[in-house]
Amino acid sequence: MSFHGYGVLFVATVGILALLIASPGLSRLLVLPRTEFFTEFWILDSNHRAEDYPFNVTRTAYYSVFLGIGNRLGHTAYYLVEVKLRNQTQSAPNSFNRTSSSLPSLFNVTAFVADKRTWEYPLAFSFDYRLNEELSQVELFSLKLNGVTVDVTGFRTVWDWRSRGFLCNLFLELWIYDAASNGFRYHGRSVGLWFNMTTS
Amino acid sequence: MPTLKSSLVLIILLFFTSLFLVTVPCSNAVAIGQSQAVSALDDAESAVVSAYQAVLKADEVGANVSGLLFQLNEAGELLTRAHVAYGLADFDSALELADLCQERLIGFVADADALTKAAVRERSFDFLVNVIGSIVGSVGVVCGGLFVWFYLDRRYGKTGGQVQ
Repeated sequence: MSFHGYGVLFVATVGILALLIASPGLSRLLVLPRTEFFTEFWILDSNHRAEDYPFNVTRTAYYSVFLGIGNRLGHTAYYLVEVKLRNQTQSAPNSFNRTSSSLPSLFNVTAFVADKRTWEYPLAFSFDYRLNEELSQVELFSLKLNGVTVDVTGFRTVWDWRSRGFLCNLFLELWIYDAASNGFRYHGRSVGLWFNMTTS
Repeated sequence: MPTLKSSLVLIILLFFTSLFLVTVPCSNAVAIGQSQAVSALDDAESAVVSAYQAVLKADEVGANVSGLLFQLNEAGELLTRAHVAYGLADFDSALELADLCQERLIGFVADADALTKAAVRERSFDFLVNVIGSIVGSVGVVCGGLFVWFYLDRRYGKTGGQVQ
């Protein structure tokens, strides 16, 4: 076999060797750009599962859930979680229009989360309320969130015939710091839990 | 009787005067406490935002910001508690917590800047070694291969199948 018969083998060997040596540089240069930037926002039950959320609550009893944020925005983000309470008729966040509820925040939590990282926060709460039998409604006095008592006097929820209970919705809205406006803007994410305020 | 009447009026006047003298300084103290708390909260918020922007810069150049974020989350928690205290009209606690938040961030921006500079240096070195180095290395391999090829071609190519 002539010397030139080894040409293909020689070129292949040199090519593979060159590629091997170039691989650290290529791995840095040939990176597919990320196209999806978003934030995950969730609530888990006290066992870190999505199956045993509290629903029937009793006066002053404590319940706990875990709040979580997953950052996939490509940069470290500064989040603000607003905790709000509503009955069936009050303003709710709209996931289609990406608008927040007009209700005031009862409690705020801030979080700084690095890209591709998650952040978790335990949230323990209890309700203090009484049943007004004449008006067939439950009147709330206070909401205790992580040891902080928030006055919610004036909050009422009437009997819901379909669900057969006095319902209230504790929901959390995710806001994000916007450097351009030097303030927080609604990030279009909200999670919440409905509770039946039992009176027996 | 007139003496009794005038002394009664005097007592009532004295009561209201003393009530006024007691309540005015109290309300002033509350107002001062509130304004101090508002000012401290504003300062703490500005400090947190500055710290976040410093972290963002460090993050952009690839610095490991996990330690800074832990510190920043602690400061954020203090700021939240300060806001809660303010909401409950506990201005002293709000002031104290806002000050604590600011204290937690003393030297934070400088640390973040130092991390940013170190990350920039590391990034330049990494680029030099891994990108430039590997490209130069692979070009060298290709050139070396060509050189060897032409050398062998010149030496053995003409003799064809006589290569042993």
